Amino acid sequence: MLTENAEIISNTKLKDEYYKVTFRASDIVSENILAGHFVHVKISGLEEKILRRPFSVFNVVKSDVLEIVYKVVGAGTKHFSSLEPGVKCNILGPLGNPYTYPVNSEIPVLVAGGYGSAAMYLIAKNSCNPGILLIGARNSKELILIEEYRQLGFKIKIATDDGSSGHKGLVTDLMEKYCKNQYKIYGCGPNPMMYTMVRMLNSRSVAGELSLDHAMCCGVGGCYTCVVKVKDGRGGWKYSRTCKEGPVFKSSEIYI
Amino acid sequence: MADFKTELGKVTLKNPVMTASGTFGYGYEYAELYPLDKLGAVVVKGISLDPVSGNPMPRHAEITSGVINAVGLQNPGVEEFINGEKYLPFLRKSNAAAVINIWGKTINEYVEVAEILNEQNGITALEINISCPNIKEGGIAFGTDLKMANKVVSEIRKVTTLPLVTKLSPNVTRIADFAKTVVDAGSDMISLINTLTGMVIDIETRKPVLANKIGGVSGPAVKPVAVKLVHEVYNAVDVPIIGMGGIQNGSDAIEFMLAGADAVAVGTAVFSDPYAPLKVIEEIGQYLDRHNIKSVKDIVGRLESV
Repeated sequence: MLTENAEIISNTKLKDEYYKVTFRASDIVSENILAGHFVHVKISGLEEKILRRPFSVFNVVKSDVLEIVYKVVGAGTKHFSSLEPGVKCNILGPLGNPYTYPVNSEIPVLVAGGYGSAAMYLIAKNSCNPGILLIGARNSKELILIEEYRQLGFKIKIATDDGSSGHKGLVTDLMEKYCKNQYKIYGCGPNPMMYTMVRMLNSRSVAGELSLDHAMCCGVGGCYTCVVKVKDGRGGWKYSRTCKEGPVFKSSEIYI
Repeated sequence: MADFKTELGKVTLKNPVMTASGTFGYGYEYAELYPLDKLGAVVVKGISLDPVSGNPMPRHAEITSGVINAVGLQNPGVEEFINGEKYLPFLRKSNAAAVINIWGKTINEYVEVAEILNEQNGITALEINISCPNIKEGGIAFGTDLKMANKVVSEIRKVTTLPLVTKLSPNVTRIADFAKTVVDAGSDMISLINTLTGMVIDIETRKPVLANKIGGVSGPAVKPVAVKLVHEVYNAVDVPIIGMGGIQNGSDAIEFMLAGADAVAVGTAVFSDPYAPLKVIEEIGQYLDRHNIKSVKDIVGRLESV
């Protein structure tokens, strides 16, 4: 974990409200970034917004390039999308508890909702075996990064709420047949989707690793504003910090 | 290079810049970024007798130039704080001056926590939190009632020889009265301000944004309020004052010191820049050098009249 004033190399629209920003960030990249790690970015030029914004790392290229895929959801990310190459942002990272990569005998099944496909790309890139991406969105316009996964040899299965592409319904509808031992299940997406995954996995006694998404202040465990309920080992629950004990939790640990 | 040594009654700190309780965890969270003993003191998140899970989510919202929070004093409880490797034992090893913020739901709970901590090595002072706006019992219920404020401090005074700091609430009509009564009760120092109570509404759902409905406002937005209250307390009592509320840089810290603060705490600014407390120390030094002032204590309360 360290901070770096990182220069934007490019910041372009992928589609719809989704963008990809590329930073030159040799110090952060030297910190051994793993899938599921996030970085906390102070978006330059927004002085009255005092908080950083957390983003999962999408990709690391060479020894000094860090890529983030983000969606414009509010004033902070709106401004972020307007920043031009050459602008520097202060980045704190890498932060959080990452995913564990699949071992040789495991086929990864990545279950992604919305920009969840961004946070799991490094799993695909570091997997011994090509796996399966189950990707869901509201409509076909919001499906992102499919080509990037296809290039890594991943099979793609799509679900959309409106049926404009693939299965009409939820991405978790596609998950049932992969709840078996030879697969290793990963998830990242909106919290209601993550809780559906928790219910499915726990009721079938299948392990999974899920990344939970929360707004936060400090990003390092100091403020306790990003907590989620996890099992306390005595039949009850306790609050754990998304930024420190998470964002990746074992599905068996998450309390519903 | 100016002299940063800061004397707060019996307590001597290497510099006047601390962290603010609730923003800096228990110290270990930030220790990966810099050695904690570079700070004047680490002030930990509030400790109670029993573990507390805190408020439901959402617990915070960003406002213009600040944050509103209702975390609700989540903490592991005093036994875990003493014994858990990452808490007090870690602070001891860090060699940082450690100020332990304490609170209770009843006066007895405050007293028990203080009694337990009194037996521990490596504690510089206790900060009594009578001003948290985010829990129903304890906290602000003590900090907005003069008799209760006096009672909680005087009962704690009986069970500990540790230096006592009382953290005051800004959510009162005359803060000087609270300062006087806690000093009468045996408080060695005063810290202020805790957060200002506030509320944020989502106009689409017409619901409060925080699950707790109300919360405490902090950050640059509250700084002028805090500077004024520090000055009022400075004029009312004769004990060391730790000033805080929206400090982001050296200039902000100097304002508090001119208003009467002997030391300052940096809170919400660490969310934006975890190095903010170190930057504040450096920039105080630059100010002192630029004005040819030899010691940081020579600016405390040196406000000129209009």
